[in-house]
Amino acid sequence: MSKIEIKNLTVDYIEKKKSFTALKDVSFSIEEGEFVSVIGSSGCGKSTLLSILEGINTATDGEILINGKPVTGTGADRGVVFQHYSLFPWMTARKNVAFGIKQVNKTASRAERYQLADEFLQKVGLEQFKNKYPSQLSGGMQQRVAIARALAMDTDILLMDEPFGAIDAKNRTILQELLLELWENATPRKTVVFVTHDIDEAILLSDKIVMMTANPGRVYREIRVPFDRPRNRAELVQTKDYTKFRNELLAMFYSDIVSKIGGEEVVL
Amino acid sequence: MNIQTKTVAAPANEIENNKESSTTKAEFFRRYFRVVHALFAVLILIQFIPDQLPTETYASYVIWFAVGVEVLTLVVSAFIKKPKSLNLFVDIVAFIYGLLIAWTLATAKFNILKPALFPPPGKVFWQFIGDYDKILTNIQSSAGIILQGYLLAIAVAIPLGLFLGWSARLGSAATYISKFLGAIPPIVYIPYGIALLPTFRSVSVFVIFLATFWPVLAGTMSGVMNVEKKTIDSAKVLNVNKFTMLFSVILPASLQQIFIGCNQGLTVSFVLLTSAEMIGAQSGLGYYIKNYSDFGDYTRTIVGLIVVGIVIVAISFLFNRIQKFLLRWKQ
Repeated sequence: MSKIEIKNLTVDYIEKKKSFTALKDVSFSIEEGEFVSVIGSSGCGKSTLLSILEGINTATDGEILINGKPVTGTGADRGVVFQHYSLFPWMTARKNVAFGIKQVNKTASRAERYQLADEFLQKVGLEQFKNKYPSQLSGGMQQRVAIARALAMDTDILLMDEPFGAIDAKNRTILQELLLELWENATPRKTVVFVTHDIDEAILLSDKIVMMTANPGRVYREIRVPFDRPRNRAELVQTKDYTKFRNELLAMFYSDIVSKIGGEEVVL
Repeated sequence: MNIQTKTVAAPANEIENNKESSTTKAEFFRRYFRVVHALFAVLILIQFIPDQLPTETYASYVIWFAVGVEVLTLVVSAFIKKPKSLNLFVDIVAFIYGLLIAWTLATAKFNILKPALFPPPGKVFWQFIGDYDKILTNIQSSAGIILQGYLLAIAVAIPLGLFLGWSARLGSAATYISKFLGAIPPIVYIPYGIALLPTFRSVSVFVIFLATFWPVLAGTMSGVMNVEKKTIDSAKVLNVNKFTMLFSVILPASLQQIFIGCNQGLTVSFVLLTSAEMIGAQSGLGYYIKNYSDFGDYTRTIVGLIVVGIVIVAISFLFNRIQKFLLRWKQ
C-alpha cells in the first residue's frame, strides 16, 4: 500500500457562474519516505492538488487516501509550508514553532515546547533570531522558521507549496540545500510532496517528479529521478547525466506547451 | 537660575552652528538652552507686576506651579534621548507657559477680562489645591462608572464579536443586525434605562456599556471578517481546534480593528458620562462643573474643565500604551 494514493481526482470551481475544471482525473501514488515534486506551469492545478492534500479544499470527484484512509479534512499527520504567510505575525519565531508543536503534542509543557522549538530553530540556523517577529525577518528567514515548525511537528508527511518561490536566487539555493540535508539525514525520512515550477529544484530534491499540464490540470508524466543520495548540487550539476536528464525534462515540459499552442488558448 | 537661562537662550542657534565648539557642547546647548526657559523667566517676572484686581490673585501659586514644571522640564531634558520627543515635550511646556503669561496679563495684571467670568490663574491653582479631595472623589466616581461599563462591554463584546464574526464569515445575518443596533445613538437609551434601572449610577453604567458594546462588537466582527484567508488556512493546516482558532489566531489577527472599536467606545463614553452627570448626577466631574457654574463659581468651573482634560488625556495615553504594546509585532 502506498503512503498517499491520489485516485481520479477532479476539481471543478464555479467562478462568476462559469464552471472551471482545475483538475481532471488526476491519479498517482507516493510511497512512504519518498520525495515527490509536482511541477507544471501556472494554472495546471498543482496548488489546488496540494490544498486538497492539506485538507483545506475538497474534490468534486475522486479521492485521496493516506495510509489507506480517505482524506476528509486537515490532519495532524501532515505538516504544511506555504509560499507566504505560514507564520503568525503576532508570534515570535520561537512561539510560532512552539505553537505548531502544541497542536500535535498536547502533553508537552511550555518549557519542553520552547526547548524543542529552539532545537529546530538551531537546525535551520536561526537560534539568534528566535525572539524576533516575522516582520523583523527576511522572506528567507521566515521560510526557515516555517520549515522548522513543520519539522518540529514531526508529522509523517510534509506538504510544501512553492516554499522558495518568492525568495531571491541565492537564498533559494541555500534553502534548497538546507531542506535536502535535513530531509536526507532524518530517520525515517518523511514523505514529502513539493510543488514547484523550478525544474532544477525538482531534480535536486526529488525521487520522483510528477509533471502536470494545464486546462484542465492533468498528470502529463511521472518521471523517476535517477541520481543517488545523498546528493550534492555542485557535483551533480557538473555531470553529463544531469545535463542530459535536465534537457529531457525541459523538452517534455515545453512539448506539452507547444502542443497546446495551435488553436487553443494558452495562458503562460 | 532662570535669569541666567534667559540671557543665554537667545543665541542658542548661533552656538549650535558654531563648528569650533565640540559636539558634546553643542548637544548640551541644544538640550538646555531653549526658548521655553525664556518663557519661564517671563512668566515668573510678570508675577511681580502690581495687581490691578481688587481681590487676591494668588500669584505665588503660579510661581510654584511654574517652578515645578520647570524642574520637571530640566529633568526630562536630561533623560529624553530622541530629539524629536524632547522637542515635543518642550513645545507643550512652552505652550503652557505662553498660555499662563497671556492669562496672567489679561486678568490679574491688566484686568482686561471680566474678573467674575475669568479668574486669574493663581486663583484656579489655589482652588484646585483647596478642592483636591473633592476633585479626587469626583474623578473616582466618574472613572468608576466608566471603567465598570467599559470593561464589562469589552468583556462581552469581544468574545461575542469573535463568534458572530466567525459565523458571519460563513454568511449570516449577524452583521446586519449589529449594524442596525449599533446605528442607534446610545444616548437615546437613557430614558428607557431610567425606567428600567433604580439609580443614576446603574443607568450610567448601562448607557456606557451600550455606547462601548456596539462599536467594539462591530470592530471585532469586521476585524474577524477581514482576517486574511491565508492566515486562517495556516491555522487550519496546523489542525487547531475551534477555541484555539478563535482566541489564538482570529483574536490577535483582528486586534487592530478591535482597538478601533474600543477607542471609539472610550471617546463616546466620556461624552455621554459627562453630559449625563451634568443632567442628573450628584457626583462626578460633569456634576462638579455644572453645579459650580450654576452658582456662578467660574474658578471651580475652570478647575473642572482642566481636570476633565487631564483625566481624558491620561486615560488616552494609557490606552495608547496598551495598544502599542499589544500590537508591537506590527511594523
